[in-house]
Amino acid sequence: MGANKLRITLIVLGVIGMAIASYLTYIHYAEIKPLCTAGNSCIKVQSSVYSKLAGVPVALMGLIGYVAILISLLIPQSENTRFATMALTLVGFAFSAYLTYRELFSIHAICEWCATSAGILTIMMCLSVWRFLRGDPAPASAGAAAAAAPEASAPLGTAST
Amino acid sequence: MSSVEDDADLTRKQRREQAREERKALEQAEAADAVRRKRMTRLGIVVAVVVVAVVVVLIATGGSSNSHTATSSTAKTATETGITSLVSGIPQSGNVLGSPTAPVTLVYFGDLECPVCREFTLGALPAVIQKWVRTGKLKIEYRSLETATREPEVFKTQQVAALAAGKQDKMWNFIETFYHEQGEEDSGYVTEKYLQELAQQVPGLDLAKWTTDRSEPALANQVASDEQAASNAGFTGTPSFLIGKSGGALKKLENPSLTESSGFDAEIEKLLAG
Repeated sequence: MGANKLRITLIVLGVIGMAIASYLTYIHYAEIKPLCTAGNSCIKVQSSVYSKLAGVPVALMGLIGYVAILISLLIPQSENTRFATMALTLVGFAFSAYLTYRELFSIHAICEWCATSAGILTIMMCLSVWRFLRGDPAPASAGAAAAAAPEASAPLGTAST
Repeated sequence: MSSVEDDADLTRKQRREQAREERKALEQAEAADAVRRKRMTRLGIVVAVVVVAVVVVLIATGGSSNSHTATSSTAKTATETGITSLVSGIPQSGNVLGSPTAPVTLVYFGDLECPVCREFTLGALPAVIQKWVRTGKLKIEYRSLETATREPEVFKTQQVAALAAGKQDKMWNFIETFYHEQGEEDSGYVTEKYLQELAQQVPGLDLAKWTTDRSEPALANQVASDEQAASNAGFTGTPSFLIGKSGGALKKLENPSLTESSGFDAEIEKLLAG
């Protein structure tokens, strides 16, 4: 997959994830019930004690996370931005994994919105780790990238093309 | 002769060129290796930090998986002391708190997981008990109506657990303890362990008998008939109340204050006067 295609895929996934997190944050603060297909499982998860961490709604944390990931993807790309994307998606993936664990073993209900977000973050994490390790060249800012991290312009990025 | 020298020169040049190419390729390979190693190190650091963070969060939130488990043993002792002083000396029989000959009966329809019931149980109820039940003028019947639990099986299990304590005339200690240590709605905190821990807190409850009694079909039937009674009365929310002279027809007590006993006081006074 080309560097640009990969980046666009990540952006699209990030936008979908951000939309889900925005919706869940909105319903949390508006105190309305989420649209739910599997019985009341979403409502159960959303109103559970685990819907907040240290008093902060996890939906809001997710929203902040997706925004941060999108910023790291939309600014001129370099080795460091790819590292940031990878680190952020890894954190998001771990957080989703923790929440899914809570859904399965503490709340005993699965929220489709959360599961979709967890799936998106899993794909984003895999793609961004791959992207970071292969070191995509960043033609738009090659100069700056090369100055910041000379290895970014090394021919490694062409290995998979 | 000169062409041989030329050939030798060319070979030397080619060799030098080849060596340069090889050196360059080697340097590039080493540089690529260094980059790869650096990236793997950075990835490893992030993964390690994330794993540590997840473990910390799991440990930090593990204790709050049920709000009651976060309740310290000191707090539990204080709760139990408060409950004991509230109901001790008052006759209990099954789901009834108060003298069997009390002239007024209040029926309290509740769901043990309902936070509004908790508000009432910790709010207006203690004053009602002190003023009317302790003095033998009122008896209160606790009946089941599923609202906040939203899981019929869990609801039946928890309400039967309370009724089983009632077989030892300790139902009110059990339900008071449940409401005092009630967890976050819909968090799935009502587990077998949770019910066992509640039962252990009820002073003098024979746990073996309580466990056996829980499987009595009569108790599950009692929950079902309570729900039917609530439905007949047109109740859909909890807490809901019926009040009247003992043995006579009971009527709905509409929207009494749940935090102050005034609404109950007025109705009970009226019934006693009439």
